Amino acid sequence: MESGSDKGTVGSSAMDDYETLISTTDADLLKRSWRNEKASPEILQFESSLVQRSREQIQLMEETVEEFMNNGEDPLTVSLYQMDIDRTMFLLRSYLRIRLQKIEKFMFHIQKTAQLWTRLSRQEQKFAKRSIEDMKQHLDESVLSKLPDRYKSHLKQSVISEEDDMVMEPKLDAFVICRSRKFLGGLPVDDSGEENPLDMYAGDIYALRYKSIKPLVESGQLDLV
Amino acid sequence: MYGRKAYQLVKEFTNSESGQLTGFNDDLFAQVIEDCKEHVLKLQSLLRKMQEEGSDNQTTKNADHFGALMHHLALVRNKRCLMAYMYNRAEVVQNLGWTVDLVLPVEIEEKLSVSEKEYFKSHSKTLKSYMSDLDIDLAVDMVPPKDPYIKVRVLEEIGNVVLSDQSANLTRFAILFLRRTDAEQYISQGKMEELTG
Repeated sequence: MESGSDKGTVGSSAMDDYETLISTTDADLLKRSWRNEKASPEILQFESSLVQRSREQIQLMEETVEEFMNNGEDPLTVSLYQMDIDRTMFLLRSYLRIRLQKIEKFMFHIQKTAQLWTRLSRQEQKFAKRSIEDMKQHLDESVLSKLPDRYKSHLKQSVISEEDDMVMEPKLDAFVICRSRKFLGGLPVDDSGEENPLDMYAGDIYALRYKSIKPLVESGQLDLV
Repeated sequence: MYGRKAYQLVKEFTNSESGQLTGFNDDLFAQVIEDCKEHVLKLQSLLRKMQEEGSDNQTTKNADHFGALMHHLALVRNKRCLMAYMYNRAEVVQNLGWTVDLVLPVEIEEKLSVSEKEYFKSHSKTLKSYMSDLDIDLAVDMVPPKDPYIKVRVLEEIGNVVLSDQSANLTRFAILFLRRTDAEQYISQGKMEELTG
């Protein structure tokens, strides 16, 4: 049950991060990834090693609990361990579930955006491919095949459209609540043209447009809550 | 008026409670499709006429040009409405895949079109196959757990079953403490209810 060192979320920034790094457990990391995923309008990078580690830990804990039960350990201790397992399991399930639901919602958009597509795990890509097939088949059969020739695409309104104008996209300019993990100076949070940069200190909480802080969430400098 | 029927179709969906489906409106749906076909016929005949007259549809802006444009726009709008109707219903069907097992309850099934039933089956399978790839059941644990054990009442005779930590005799109306993860499957099937407070 080593504390996690996830290179994806914790940047190479500085040595003073080291302290927080070694005191952060995988459970914390999972909780953070889960919260970020839950609050962000678009799908984020899949935390494959974190998920892998969490599953191994859960298995280990389950074995421990079983051992305890066989040795007639205090029921309270057993139940506390069990509770811990249940909570971690919930986080993990919920994390995976939210991602699948995002894929369900934005499948066509994710498929044609290479940057998003590579964020999915192998199994999620498989899921997305099959979901797309299912949905296409369904739409083809019920609507598109009955429409006139030049209007049959599921991505474009008609052959005249230059871009794919029938694809659901996540609303990147939605507001999210975020908390910074360290000092971030001069954030360009406003695209109204006015120069109005924002200084965020560690622990500050702001409601900002997701679009404007997207890179900071992706590099792990900012958490969504 | 062009597009009126398609509008009614979408309206019908938005008027239903969110997450609930009303019966698939075959009739209206077919009528909108008919509308589309009519538009395309008129559109084609206008385009032919313009071609015969030798007018260039980039430069000439006469009545025929705008007529054709109107038909095109009406068609595109109808398509958007049809797709919105289908797609939003499909989203509800998707959600069903999370909560119901492969067999749909009759009262839901009769509201779906043939293609929607197919879609439900294939999408549920896709979901199931993801879960078995990962060897994890995502259909349980929908709410954050408070206590590993919950108090439940058995509503339907289930009989002797082996649960993860004990084997229990689940007779009707029995009240017992079960592991939440064990009880959840029965609760979602309506065979048990959770007692709170």
